[in-house]
Amino acid sequence: MEQSKPYPQLIASGIASGTLYFLLYFYEPEILAAFTRTDGWYPALPVVAAFAFSFAHGAFTAYFWEVLGVKGRRK
Amino acid sequence: MDSATIQFIDLQYGNVLALLAIGFVGGLVSGFIGSGGAFVLTPAMMSMGVPGVVAVASNLCHKFPKALVGAHQRNKFGHVDVKLGLVMAASAAIGVWLGADIQHQIKGNFGEPGSNLYVSLAFVIVLAIVGGFVLHDAVTVYRSGKSDEQDRVSRLARWVQSVEIPGTMMHFRTANIRVSVLFTLPLGFATGLLASIIAVGGFVGVPGMMYVLGAPGLIATATELVIAFVMGFGGTIKYALHGLVDIRLALILLAGSLFGIQLGVIGTIYVKPFMIKVVMAAIMLIVAVSRGLVVPVYLTELGQLDIEPSTMAWLQMASFALLVLALCVGAIIIIAAMLLGHRAGAIRLKESAPE
Repeated sequence: MEQSKPYPQLIASGIASGTLYFLLYFYEPEILAAFTRTDGWYPALPVVAAFAFSFAHGAFTAYFWEVLGVKGRRK
Repeated sequence: MDSATIQFIDLQYGNVLALLAIGFVGGLVSGFIGSGGAFVLTPAMMSMGVPGVVAVASNLCHKFPKALVGAHQRNKFGHVDVKLGLVMAASAAIGVWLGADIQHQIKGNFGEPGSNLYVSLAFVIVLAIVGGFVLHDAVTVYRSGKSDEQDRVSRLARWVQSVEIPGTMMHFRTANIRVSVLFTLPLGFATGLLASIIAVGGFVGVPGMMYVLGAPGLIATATELVIAFVMGFGGTIKYALHGLVDIRLALILLAGSLFGIQLGVIGTIYVKPFMIKVVMAAIMLIVAVSRGLVVPVYLTELGQLDIEPSTMAWLQMASFALLVLALCVGAIIIIAAMLLGHRAGAIRLKESAPE
């Protein structure tokens, strides 16, 4: 039986990833200033952002290839 | 470090596109051989005017999420030995720490050219030897006509696995090996040491896991992503504490590399196991030549050689071009192998654990 393609997941993760990248673009100066601060908990910002983007964009890229039909057989 | 003195570059569209493209190719290679990309990404960023430390910091900030996604995906195919990765990462961390110290000493004593010469020599010596060895192995496997089989264990690895040292033995289920930590310790250490010098520890880590510990290529390359994650994460924290991470660069690289790494991971399922060795060897050897080209440049800067400035400039351009070529060659081989594997009509169900 042919599994249906994960279009809803692709769209949802695409919106999440796209939103994050849009925010990065739109607030570029403020983000750069905040993310290079060395006081308090500011150094944690790059790490937190990296994780957030990896979840959203990681999911999107996985679904992207799956929708295109590129996938391997899972364990 | 005073962040007011650090220049964060003005990002142009051309820079962004270049970072996306290079990130994609780097990710593709990483998903396939567990490492790679950093030696192109960091110089590429620097050629855009990014200060060296910012380039290294930003690359590390992109490396650990990329490795996380790659490891997660490869884990679905049963390739990741998390325990082995963590054990190796523990001693790799010490290697990185010591390696950074050595770099600092050399820079202090011999300046920038001395440091560059040290880095380039490390590239050439390590990559030529290891790359040559991996290529020889890949050719041997191909000629034996048994390229579909799982990797056979090297003689050295068989000996390592036979050594019983009470109280130090560890069993690694996914890699299906039982070895003393007295072997993983120096291997992890060497991985970290090399990572601190050339930014790619996997060029020692992956062959080390394969030929010294006897882990199959598929497991070694996937497990390397765990080590990369730990080192990238630790390194990012260290640089972030100094305000050196340009999050824009890291996230733009990630935008491209996550597409690439997903594809590279899937590629490991489509192709014959020995192709991993072919890609590794090809990249290592081209990079070795690339770095070898600039050794005369640094020798000249140190006053040991005398070369025309125009020749030096040409050598440096050729060197960078070869770096990019190395990554592209790796990517082309991966994609070609995937297409061939797909066209053969056989999407083989790979064993999740070796026999």
